[in-house]
Amino acid sequence: MSEGKVQDKAPPGGALQKRAKGAAAEPPGNSVVLGLNGVEVPVRHKGGAGYRTYEVHQRERVGQSTEKIKPIQLISEDFLRDPYPLLGILRENYPCYRDWLSNQYWVTRFDDVTSLIQDEANFETRSKLWFYGCEDYGRDLFSELPVLEAHAGRIDANAEALADKVIGDLAGGGHANLATEFAARYALELLIAVLDLPDEDAGEFAERYWRMQRGYLWDPVAEQAGLRAMDELATYFYPLMTERRKSPGDDLISAVAGLDLPDGPATPQDLVVTLLERDHETLHGSLANYWYLLLTHPDQLHRVQEERRLVKLGYLETLRHSTPVLTARRFTRQEVERFGLLLPEGALVMCSAAAANRDPRIFSDPDTFVVDRKDICHREARGQFRADGLATGVAPGFGKPSIHPALPEDRPRSLFAINRDTAVIASRVVLDMLTDLKLATGASPCLRSRRLGEMHTCWDLPVTFRKR
Amino acid sequence: MNSLASFAETLAPDQGEGEDPGASRQFPLMPEGEAYDMGHAPDGTPLFDPRIFDSAEFFRNPYPYYRILRDHYPVYHDKLHNCYYVTRYDDITHCYFDDEGFNTIPKGSSSGVLGNTQLELSGVEHRRRRNLYGQHLVGKSLENRVPAIRRLAVEMIETWDGINDDQIIIDRDGSRTVELGRAFANEFPIRVVCEVLGFPKEAQADFYYWYNSMMSGLGASDTHKQGLEARQHLEDYVEGIVEARRKEPTYLYDEAGNPISKDIISKLCETKVDGDYLSTEEITSNIALVVGGGGETTRGAILNMWYLLLQHPDQFAAVCNDDNLWDSAFHETLRHSTPIGGQPRQNTFDVEMHGVHIPAGSLVNMVDFSANHDERIFRDPETFNMFREDLYNGKLLRSGYRKEGRCSHMAFGVGPHLCPGAWISHQEAVEGSRVLLSKLKNPRINVERMPKDIDGKKLRPIGLVSARELWIDYDLG
Repeated sequence: MSEGKVQDKAPPGGALQKRAKGAAAEPPGNSVVLGLNGVEVPVRHKGGAGYRTYEVHQRERVGQSTEKIKPIQLISEDFLRDPYPLLGILRENYPCYRDWLSNQYWVTRFDDVTSLIQDEANFETRSKLWFYGCEDYGRDLFSELPVLEAHAGRIDANAEALADKVIGDLAGGGHANLATEFAARYALELLIAVLDLPDEDAGEFAERYWRMQRGYLWDPVAEQAGLRAMDELATYFYPLMTERRKSPGDDLISAVAGLDLPDGPATPQDLVVTLLERDHETLHGSLANYWYLLLTHPDQLHRVQEERRLVKLGYLETLRHSTPVLTARRFTRQEVERFGLLLPEGALVMCSAAAANRDPRIFSDPDTFVVDRKDICHREARGQFRADGLATGVAPGFGKPSIHPALPEDRPRSLFAINRDTAVIASRVVLDMLTDLKLATGASPCLRSRRLGEMHTCWDLPVTFRKR
Repeated sequence: MNSLASFAETLAPDQGEGEDPGASRQFPLMPEGEAYDMGHAPDGTPLFDPRIFDSAEFFRNPYPYYRILRDHYPVYHDKLHNCYYVTRYDDITHCYFDDEGFNTIPKGSSSGVLGNTQLELSGVEHRRRRNLYGQHLVGKSLENRVPAIRRLAVEMIETWDGINDDQIIIDRDGSRTVELGRAFANEFPIRVVCEVLGFPKEAQADFYYWYNSMMSGLGASDTHKQGLEARQHLEDYVEGIVEARRKEPTYLYDEAGNPISKDIISKLCETKVDGDYLSTEEITSNIALVVGGGGETTRGAILNMWYLLLQHPDQFAAVCNDDNLWDSAFHETLRHSTPIGGQPRQNTFDVEMHGVHIPAGSLVNMVDFSANHDERIFRDPETFNMFREDLYNGKLLRSGYRKEGRCSHMAFGVGPHLCPGAWISHQEAVEGSRVLLSKLKNPRINVERMPKDIDGKKLRPIGLVSARELWIDYDLG
C-alpha cells in the first residue's frame, strides 16, 4: 500500500496525523511501508511463508467480502423486480454467502441447492404455522390418503371445464389481463372446485384465503390480517364440515370431515391449516409467467401454436427460467459442515431456486427461454431434481420431487404432476379458444414480487385476441 | 362477472396496496421520543414493522420503538432479519448470566475483522483467555497506568496551539472553537491503548488508521475489505513487536521516570497456559480485539458525556464544583446514551420466553439500549439525570448488577462477558475529562456548527450512534 492510498482512505480530518506525516521520513526503497510514520511492516502471510493458523484460514473463508454485493441489496427494491443479476453475483463468487444483515446463508448453485432441499437428515423446512407463531392452531392433514385422493380427483374432474369457463368469460371485445383474468382466477376456480364451495361464497373465500397465505412472512400488518383470516375461515368451514360429515361428497372438505384420526376428529382449524400449508401460488404464478414469456417471445409462442406437443415442454422451461417461488427456506437441524463452513444449529439457509435454475454449470445459455430446451429433462424429476440424466428446473412450491414418482399406484400422482398437467390443459385451452393473441399495444409487462419473500410473477399482462 | 373474477381483479398492481419498496422503505422522521404509527392489532396492540431497524428514523430516535417492544413484545421475532430481540432489563441480565443457555456471540460475526477472539468463546475456555489480559486492566495495574493516561491527555491538548486546520480548531476574539472529536476524543483512547500495550510512540498514528479501518470494516459494511487488510497489517506489525519483546521486555514509567511495571505485551510474553507460553498468534489476535474494543466505545463515552453535560448546565456546574461527580456523570451517560447497543447470543436449547418459542440456535439480540431505558428499572429513563437514585454508580461490579437497591447500566454488559476494559475505559473518560475541564474555560456547545434535528433548531439526538462530532467554544487566556 502506498502512502498516498493511506491518505485517501484515512478518516476525515486527522490533523494530528497530518502533522505526524510531515515529520515522517521518506519511505525507504523496496521495503513494504504501511504506516504513516514509516513504520515498516513485513508482509508475512504471503508467498507461502510464515504461519497460517486455522483462525486465519477461517477468517478468509468466513469473511465474505462485501466488495461485490451488499446484503441490503438482497432485500432491496431491485431484488423484488429482478433478482437474477444479484443472485448471479452470489452464485459465481460466494457458493455459500453469509448474509449478516438478515442472519442467513445463501446457497445458489444447482447441485448445492438440490442437495440441500433433499437432505432431510440435516435440514428441515418449517411450517407456515411456525412462522405465524401458533403451531398449536391445527393439524396439517394433507398427507392423509382420502384427502390426497379428493384433491387429485376433483382437479382431474374440473380442470378442463374450468379452463373453458375462465377463457369463455374473457371480454368479448378482445382485451383482457391474462395475469388476473386467467392465471390468478383459474388457480382460484380450481381450489373452489376442490373444496366444492357454493358460487356465492367464492369471492369472499378467495379474499380470506389470499390474506391467510400472505400473512406468514415478516410483515406484521399482513400477519394480523392473516391470523384474522384463519379464524374467519374456520368459522366459515364449521357448518360446511358438519353438513358434509352427514352427507359426504367427493370434495376435500368431505374427505377431511370424514377422517377418523387417532387423536380426535378433524376440526375446522385442521382444515384451515391443511389449506394454509399447501402451495398456493405456483400454479397461478407459473401460468402467469408462462404466458408472460410466450407473449414476450413471439417466436416461441408461434412454435407452441404450431406444435401442441411443445406446450408441456414450454411449461417445464418456464418453471426453470422464471420460477414463481424463488427460494426454499431450510433450517439446519444440527451443526453441519458444508461448503467449508460450519453452519450452526438452527441456521437459516436460503436455497435459491432462481439462482440454481440459471446455473451455467447445468444449463447452457441459462438466461434464454427456449420452449424445447435440449438440456432439461422432459419427465418428472427424481430425487436430485434430475431424470434421464438431465436436470430439471427447481420450483420449490411443489416440494421436493419423489424418488419414485411413477411407482406407487395406490397414491395419487405427485403435486408436481397434477399441477403440470393442469397448467398444460389450461394453456391448451387458451391456444384453442383464442387467436391473434398478442400483447396489447404499448404494454410492457414485467415480473415482480409484490413484497419481500413473495412470489415473483407477472401481475399485469394486457393482451388483445379474437375468440374462435 | 362472478365474485371470484372480481377478487382476481384486485390482484392487478394498480389495485390494492401498491408496490412494496422492500427494505428501502422510508419511514418519516418523527419528533424525538414519538414513534411512527406502524398499525395496530384488533385489540389495540401496536404493530412493529421490522424494516424500521434499517431506517434513518430508528438510528436517530430509537427509544420510543424500544418502548413498544418492551411493553408489547418483550421477545420480538423479527422474521425479516431472522432473529429475536430481548428488550427488558431483567430478561437481558438473566440471559447474560446464563452462559450455558445463551452461548456467546455467533461465530465469525465480526466477519473476520476482529477474528476468532474470546467474544466467540464461552465457559472455561473463555474465562481463561479473558483473564490473560483482563488482569492487567484492573486494580493495581490500572492504578499504575493512571498517570500515563493523564500525561497523554495533557500532551494531546498541548498540541492544539499548533493546529492550523479549521475543521478542528478556530480561534477568534479571545475565544476558541474546537471540535472535540477530531482534536481529542477520537484518538485519545487509541493512544492510551498503545501506551498500555507498550507499542512505540511513532506507531500510534498507524494504530489509529488500522483501528478506524477495522471499525468501519466490521460486518456487512462497504469497507469490509479495507478492514480485513488493516487487521492483517496490524497483526503483521504486532507479531514483530511480540517477537522483540520476548527477547527484551519493556516497561511503563511513572511521572518521575521510574519503571512501574512491564507493559502488557511484555507480560503476555511470559504468561504460560498449561505449562506453555502463549503463542504469538494468541497474543496478536487478542491485541486486535483490545485495539478494536478500546477505541470506539471510549471515544463515544467521552463525546456523549460532554454533549449531554453541556446541554444540562446545572449538572455541568455541579461537576465543575465537585470533581468527584465525574463518576456519576460517566455512568449516567452510559445509561442514557451507551456507545455499544447490545450483544447477540445464540440459545443452546429450545426455550420459551414470554410465550414465544425460540428454537435452539436462533440469533437472540440482547438490546442494552433498551435495558438502559427500561422504566421497570430506571424512573423517567429518557431524562439525563446524573443524580438519579436508581442507577448504581459506585465501583464497578464484577459479578453482579444490583447493589444497595440500585441497578448498573448495561453499557459494559453483565455476567461472564462483562467488558474487561470497563475499568480502564472509565479512567480514560473521567481522567481525560478532568484534564479537559482544567484547560477549557467556560466551555459551551457551538450550536451553529452542530448537526440539527428535524426542526432545524434543536440539537440532534444521540440515538444509536454516539455523537460523531462536538463543537465547543471556550475562552482563551
